[in-house]
Amino acid sequence: MSTLSAHSSLDRDPDDNTVEIPGTRAPLVLHLETFAEVTSTVCRVAEARRAPMAWYVAFALSLSLLGFLGFCVTYLIFTGVGVWGLNNPVMWAFDITNFVFWVGIGHAGTLISAILFLFRQKWRTGINRFAEAMTIFAVICAGLFPGVHVGRVWFAYWLFPIPNQMDMWPQFRSPLLWDVFAVSTYFTVSLVFWYVGMVPDLATLRDRAKGKIQQIGYGLFALGWRGSNRHWHRYERAYLILAALSTPLVLSVHSVVSFDFATSQLPGWHTTIFPPYFVAGAIFSGFAMVLTLAVPARELFGLKDLITLRHLDNMNKVILATGCMVGYAYSMEFFVAWYSGAPFEKFAFVNRAFGQYWWAYWIMVSCNVITPQLFWFKSIRTSIPLMFILSIIVNIGMWFERFVIIVSSLANDFLPSSWDQFTPTWVDIGTMFGAFGLFFTLFLLFCRFLPMIAMAEVKAVMPAADPHHKQSHDHGRAH
Amino acid sequence: MQKNETGCAPHGSTNEALARTAAPEFWRSLDEFSQNDEFKELMSREFSPGAQELAEGDDRRTFIKVMGASFALAGLAACRRWPESKLVPFAAAQTNRTAGVPVPYATMVETWGVAQPCVAKTFDGRPIKLDGNRLFAGAGASMPATQARVLELYDTDRSRAASRNQSPTTYADFTTWCATQRTTWQADGGKGLAILCDLSASPTLADMQSRMAKAYPNSTWTWWGAANDDASLAGASAVATPDFSKASVILVLDGDPLNDPAMGVKFARDWAQGRKVDNADASKQAMSRLYIAESTLSVTGLSADERFTMRPSEIAVFAAMVAKELGVSGSDALLAGTAASRILDEHAKEVFAELAKDLAKAGSGALVFAGRTADPACHAIAAAINTKLASAAAAYRASSTGTSVTAQLSTLASALDAGSVSTLVILGSNPVYDAPSDLAFAAKMKKAGETVHLSLYANETTALCSWHIPSCHALENWFDGRAWDGSIVLGQPTILPMLNDEQGGRNAVEILAELTGDELKDAYSIVRRTHIAACGLTGVEFEKYWRTNLDVGFVASSATATIAPTPVASAIAAAVTRVTASDVFEVALFFDCKTADGRLANQSWLQELPDPITKITWDNALLVSPKQVTAMGQRNGNKVELTTASGTLVAALWVVPGHADGCGSIALGYGRGAAAGKIAVDAGFNAYTVQTTTNLGSIAVKSVRNTGEIYPFAHTQDHGAIDALDPAVPASGIQERLPALVRSASLATYQHEPDFASHANHVPHSLSLWEESNLAGAKFRWAMSIDLGSCTGCSACVTACQAENNVPVVGKDQVARGREMHWIRVDRYFRGADASKPNGFAVQPIACMHCENAPCEQVCPVAATVHDEQGLNAMVYNRCIGTRYCSNNCPYKVRRFNFFDWNRREPVREGGVFMTKPEYYTSEGPNEWARMQFNPEVTVRMRGVMEKCTFCVQRIQGARIETKNAWAMKGGVEGAPDWAIADGTVQTACQEACPTGAIVFGDLNVKTSEVAAAQKGPRSYGLLDELNTKPRLKYLARVWNPAIEHGADAHDHSHEGHEAHS
Repeated sequence: MSTLSAHSSLDRDPDDNTVEIPGTRAPLVLHLETFAEVTSTVCRVAEARRAPMAWYVAFALSLSLLGFLGFCVTYLIFTGVGVWGLNNPVMWAFDITNFVFWVGIGHAGTLISAILFLFRQKWRTGINRFAEAMTIFAVICAGLFPGVHVGRVWFAYWLFPIPNQMDMWPQFRSPLLWDVFAVSTYFTVSLVFWYVGMVPDLATLRDRAKGKIQQIGYGLFALGWRGSNRHWHRYERAYLILAALSTPLVLSVHSVVSFDFATSQLPGWHTTIFPPYFVAGAIFSGFAMVLTLAVPARELFGLKDLITLRHLDNMNKVILATGCMVGYAYSMEFFVAWYSGAPFEKFAFVNRAFGQYWWAYWIMVSCNVITPQLFWFKSIRTSIPLMFILSIIVNIGMWFERFVIIVSSLANDFLPSSWDQFTPTWVDIGTMFGAFGLFFTLFLLFCRFLPMIAMAEVKAVMPAADPHHKQSHDHGRAH
Repeated sequence: MQKNETGCAPHGSTNEALARTAAPEFWRSLDEFSQNDEFKELMSREFSPGAQELAEGDDRRTFIKVMGASFALAGLAACRRWPESKLVPFAAAQTNRTAGVPVPYATMVETWGVAQPCVAKTFDGRPIKLDGNRLFAGAGASMPATQARVLELYDTDRSRAASRNQSPTTYADFTTWCATQRTTWQADGGKGLAILCDLSASPTLADMQSRMAKAYPNSTWTWWGAANDDASLAGASAVATPDFSKASVILVLDGDPLNDPAMGVKFARDWAQGRKVDNADASKQAMSRLYIAESTLSVTGLSADERFTMRPSEIAVFAAMVAKELGVSGSDALLAGTAASRILDEHAKEVFAELAKDLAKAGSGALVFAGRTADPACHAIAAAINTKLASAAAAYRASSTGTSVTAQLSTLASALDAGSVSTLVILGSNPVYDAPSDLAFAAKMKKAGETVHLSLYANETTALCSWHIPSCHALENWFDGRAWDGSIVLGQPTILPMLNDEQGGRNAVEILAELTGDELKDAYSIVRRTHIAACGLTGVEFEKYWRTNLDVGFVASSATATIAPTPVASAIAAAVTRVTASDVFEVALFFDCKTADGRLANQSWLQELPDPITKITWDNALLVSPKQVTAMGQRNGNKVELTTASGTLVAALWVVPGHADGCGSIALGYGRGAAAGKIAVDAGFNAYTVQTTTNLGSIAVKSVRNTGEIYPFAHTQDHGAIDALDPAVPASGIQERLPALVRSASLATYQHEPDFASHANHVPHSLSLWEESNLAGAKFRWAMSIDLGSCTGCSACVTACQAENNVPVVGKDQVARGREMHWIRVDRYFRGADASKPNGFAVQPIACMHCENAPCEQVCPVAATVHDEQGLNAMVYNRCIGTRYCSNNCPYKVRRFNFFDWNRREPVREGGVFMTKPEYYTSEGPNEWARMQFNPEVTVRMRGVMEKCTFCVQRIQGARIETKNAWAMKGGVEGAPDWAIADGTVQTACQEACPTGAIVFGDLNVKTSEVAAAQKGPRSYGLLDELNTKPRLKYLARVWNPAIEHGADAHDHSHEGHEAHS
C-alpha cells in the first residue's frame, strides 16, 4: 500500500483502479504485494479440498443441462433431424444459429490473448486464461452443432479431406467446407495457445500439490517445466509465435463463418458487409460472455484483486465500441438494400423488421444497439450488477442476431409460394440450453482444477516484477 | 405405335425372334430347329402340358392359370407377382421376359362409371404405375385419381376376409349359401331380391344385368353412385360429352370439367387444343374463350378467361339470363323474381354483355356446358342453347344407367322400408356413406333380410351387412367398360388377385354369376362371352379380334351414337323453387379431384395432394369468400356447425379469394373416418349429411353456429394465412413479384407484342464466380418447357411424379410443419391487392429447374449434388450427408429433405411430444403389399438425405440403353452416324400425366425437338433468370383471352411493383 500511496498527492482509492491519473499507470493488481500472494490466491482455488457451495450448485445445474443435451442429441441422431422444427424453406434454424453464436463467443479469448498480447495491452493478463478457456469450450459447443445437424451424422466425417477408397474429395467451393477448416484450425491453435500459456502455471500447481494424484496429473501436463532460463526463453518465443498465428485467425474464422451466408444468393444473406460485421459481432458477444463469466468467478473464487474493476471497465469499453460497429452494420444493411434497388433484397430487410419475425429483429436491435449505449456512462461501466445484466442482454441480442439473419431470410425468399415459418420444438430448445450445460460444465471444471489466472504473466506486470520499482515511480509499472 | 404403349407387348414378337436366332447346329426336332412357340413352352415347363394344372384341382384360379399358360406368349404369364408364380418361376428364365424389364399392359380403371383406358407398367408381375392409354383418343394422360388406383391395389387396409354376420368366413360358404338361395329365387322369380350396383357402363355387367332379369324376373336392379349423371338426365335427358376443342366460346355453368376425375382428362385436353399458341404468326393467333359461372373457385375457374361468381341457386337464373339474351325460350320463369338484377354487379354486367355477344357471334362455335353438380335447370338451358346455336362442340349420349340413379335409389329405399326386400346385394356401392341423407338408407337397409356387400374395403355399408365379400381390385381381374364416348374398353388383370380363393377377391360379374347360377364362374370367360356375343365372331376370328383389342386396350370404333338432348321443362320449375332470398346462406356441394366421391379417401397420395385451389392436404373445408367470413363473424379455420332442413354439417372454414359471397362450398367425399381405413381417419368433413334427393348440388342453410374450435389445417402454400390477408407479411412482396414470376398477357397484347414475356424483368449482365462447366458440347442437353397458358393447375403431375419416383407421403402433421416431399408442386397465386376481388389467378408448376449454373451445387460440401454430362443436376443420395445447404441456396425451393425415414413409417397423423411413433412396417405379412408398389428403377431414399426432381433420369437412362443397344445391334459401333434418341422417346412422368400437354421434355441438341422449339419461342422465359442460374426448365408465358382487358394486363408488363388494379 505504501508504494501506491507514496507517489502522488492525487491519492488513488486502493479498491478502484479505474481512475485515470495523468502521468501514472493504473495498477493491474490490487492489494497483492508479492508473487507468493498471487500464487496462493490463484492456486488455492484448485487446491481447496472443497469448492464453494455455489460451485456445486452451478455444477449440478450444468451437469443436468448437459445430460439433457445428451438426451436430445441421442433422440435427434436416432430419430432424424425432423425432431427439430426445421421445414422446407427454413432448413437451418436453431442449429446454425447456435453454431454461429458459439463461434462468436469463442472470439474474445483469442483476441484477448493474441491481439492484445501483440499490442502490449498488459491488462489482458488478468483475464486471458479463462477467456481462452471460454474460447475452447465455446468452440466445442459450436462444433457440436454442425456435427449433429447433418442428416446422416455417421457420415459427417466426409466433410474432412480424408483420402478414401471412393477417391472423393470434399467440394472445395462450398463455404461449409471452408468452415470446417476455419473452425478446426481455430480450435487447434487456440487449444495449443491456451495450453502452452498454461505450462508454467501447471508446473506451479505440480510443485505445490500435496496429493499423489495431483502431482502426477499436473506433472504430466507440466511437461517437465522447471522454470529455467532456457525454458522461459523457448516459452516466450513459442508464445509470441502462437500469438502471431492466432491473430489472423481471430479475423478469419468468423469471416469464413459469414461466408456461409455471404456467398449464397439468398436475399438477406448475400451481403458483402458480412465478414467485418460478423467479426465485430463476434468480439462484441465474446467480450460480453467473458464478462458474464468473470463477474461471478471473481466473486466466488476471491479473484477481485487480479480481475479488477479496471479490467471490467476496459471490457465494457470494448463492448461499447463493437456494439456501435454492429449497430452501424445493421443500418448499413438497410441502406445497401435500399440503395441496390434489388427488389428481393429490399423486401428481405423490410420483412426482417416488419414481417413475421419483427419481434426477433427488435429484440436484436434493442439488445445489441441500444443497450450497450449505457456503457457511455462510467457509473454503469463500473457497476458490477449492471454490467452483469447488460452482458447477458448482449448475449441474448447476439443470439437473436444470428436467428434473425438465418431464419427470417430463409422463411421468406424468392418465391412467395414457398414461404413458411419456423416454430421450434422442445428438442430445439433443449439442444440450445443443453449446449450451455456443456459449456458451463467444462468451464466449472476448468475453474475448479486449473489455474484460472495466468499467474506467471500477472506476476510480470506487477510492480514487484520491476527490479527498480521502489526507486522509480514513473517506470515502476511500465515494464 | 410405340411398343410400350400397345400393352401385351410380347405379342407378335416371336416371328422376329425366329428370324433373328440362328438355327442350332444339332437339333432333335423341327420344332427345336425353328425354336417355335410350342417348343419353347415345352422347354420352359417341368412337366408335360396340363399335368401341373390338373393336379391342383379344377377351380377358377387354375382355369386362369391354364389360360395364362396358353397366353404365355401374349404376355399373360407375367400377370402375377413373382412370389406366387407357380407355372414358370422367374428363376427359370421365361421366354420373352427379362427380369427387371417392365412390361406395359393395356387395361382400364373405372371412375364413376366411366372407364379410363390405361396402360399399366408392370415389373416382374407387379403393376407399379398407371398411365393414360395414348392409343385411345383423349386418354393419353391421367388424373390423380387414376394414378392412385395402383396405390389402392396395394392398400394394406383392403378387406382381406369374407365375413358372415361380422365373423370371418370363406368364399366357399358364400357360394354354398348362393346355391341354397338360388332354389328359392328360381321358385319365386327372385322375389325380394334386389341388386344395388355401383355405376358402371360395362357391357359385361349389362349382360349380367339382363341375365339376372331373365333368371329372376321379380328381382330389382338399382344403379347407385354419388357422382352420377342425374342432373344431366333431369335437365337434358342425356349426358353431355362435348368436345371443347371445337368451341371458340365456352360457357361453363357451375362445374369443373377440367378437373373431373372421370372425364377431366378428355375435357382438359380438348380445351387445351383451343388454347394452343402458335409461334408462327402472333398477329393471327386465335384462341377459344372460356366463361364460367360458379360459386366456388374451381380448377376450371382458375383457367377461365372470365368468371361470374354467384350463389349456387342463382346460377340457374344466370343461365336463364343468357338464354333470354340468345332468344332461347323456356326458362323465363327463372327470371320472374328479382334475382336477375342482384346477381351481377357493374363489372359483371359489362362482361355479361360480352358473353351474350360472344355466344351469339360464335354460333355453332359456342358451347354451354353444365357441370356434374349443377342444377338440372342449367343442363336444360345449356342443352336448349346448344341446340339453338347448333353447337358443333356439343355432344350428348344416353346414360348407361337409363334413368336417374337417385330416383332408383329412392325406389329401393322405399322397397326396403316397406319390407319387400328380403335379400339386398350391394355390388361395390357404399350407400350408407354416400346416399342422400333424406333417404335414411342405413336405417332402411336394416330391414332387408340378408344383405350381401361386395367391396374393396370393409366400410360403412359393410358394418350393416350380413355378408361381406372382399372385392378384387380393378387391376386384378377381367372386366370391361365404356369410355366417355361409349367406346368399349377392356380391363385385363396385371397381377393375380392379392387375396386367395378363400378370402374372396371377386368382382361384380363373378358374384352375379354365383347369384344366377351361371355356367361360367370366372370373370375372364364371362367377359369373353359378352364380347363373343357382341362381335358376332367365333373361333379363330374371335381370337384375332380379342387379341387385337386386348393389345390396344379397347375396341376400335365402338363409340356410341350421339343423341339429341331434350330440355326438360320441369327442371326449370324445380329450379325456381330452389332460388332463395339473397340473405340465405347456401352451401354448394361439389366433387373434388382427390377422393372422387369418397371411394379414394384412403389413398395417401390423394390425401396429401394439395388441393389445386386451397392447397389444403388431408382435409376438405367449408370454403367461403373473405367478405363472407367477416359477414359471418368468423375467422379462417373456425369449426362451424351448419343446420339445414335435412341435417347438420360440421366443418371448418377456409377463406378462398374469388369465392362467391353469400355462400359456401364444400367437397363431398371426406369425413369418412376409420371406416375408410387408417389413412382416412380424421380426414375432413362429411358433407353428404346435408345432401338430399332434391338438393344434390347445393343446400340452403338455416343457421350457423361456431363450435368454438379452431381446426388445424395442413396446407402447402400460404402457411399461417392467406398471404394477401396476412398483416405479418408485407403484402407488397407478393404482388410486386408476380408479374415477373408468372408472366401473362391477354391475347390482344400477345398479338401486337409476342415477346412480352421478355420485358417482365431485368436480367443484368452476370458473371460467374468461377468457370462454369461447359455443357455446350454435351451429347444430350435435356430440358423442359411448361406452358402456363395450358396449365390448369389440376396437379395430375404431382401424383404422377409421386407414383413414378417413390416420393414418400409424410402425413398431415408433417405437411403442417412444411415438410411435404412432392418433387413437383403447383404454385397458385391470386392477383391484385384486394383479397375479396382477385384480379385473376396464376398457377405455375415448379420442379427442379436443372440450372446450368446451379446454386445448390456450389454450396454442397461433399459434392452430393453435381452436374452430369447430359446437363442434369444430379442428386447423389449415397454421397449426401444432409447439410441442407443446397436447399437454402435454391431460389426455387424445390429440394426436399428426408427429415425422417418416411418410407419406414406409417403416413398417419401424429402428435404428442415425440415426433415419430415407431410404427414401422414389419417385414412379414400383408404389409409387404405396401412395398410392392415401389418403382424398382428409383432408389428409395433413406432419412437424412436431400432429394428432388431428377427429370425422371431412370427413363432417360432406360431410353439411352435401349437406343444405344439397338444401334450397336445394327453394327453401329463401326457405322458412321452416331446414335441419337428420337424426340418424344423420353417422357417424364409429369409430362405423361399432364392432361393439357403443358409439359414438354426433350433434348435441346435435337434442333427439331418440341422442347427446343418451345424454348426458342418468344413466350419462353426462365424463372428468376436474373440470378444467372440458367434454368433448363423454362416457362411459356400464359396467353389468355379475357373479354374485357383486365387491369392485370397492364400489371403484366411492370418491371417493378405497380399498385395492382382492383
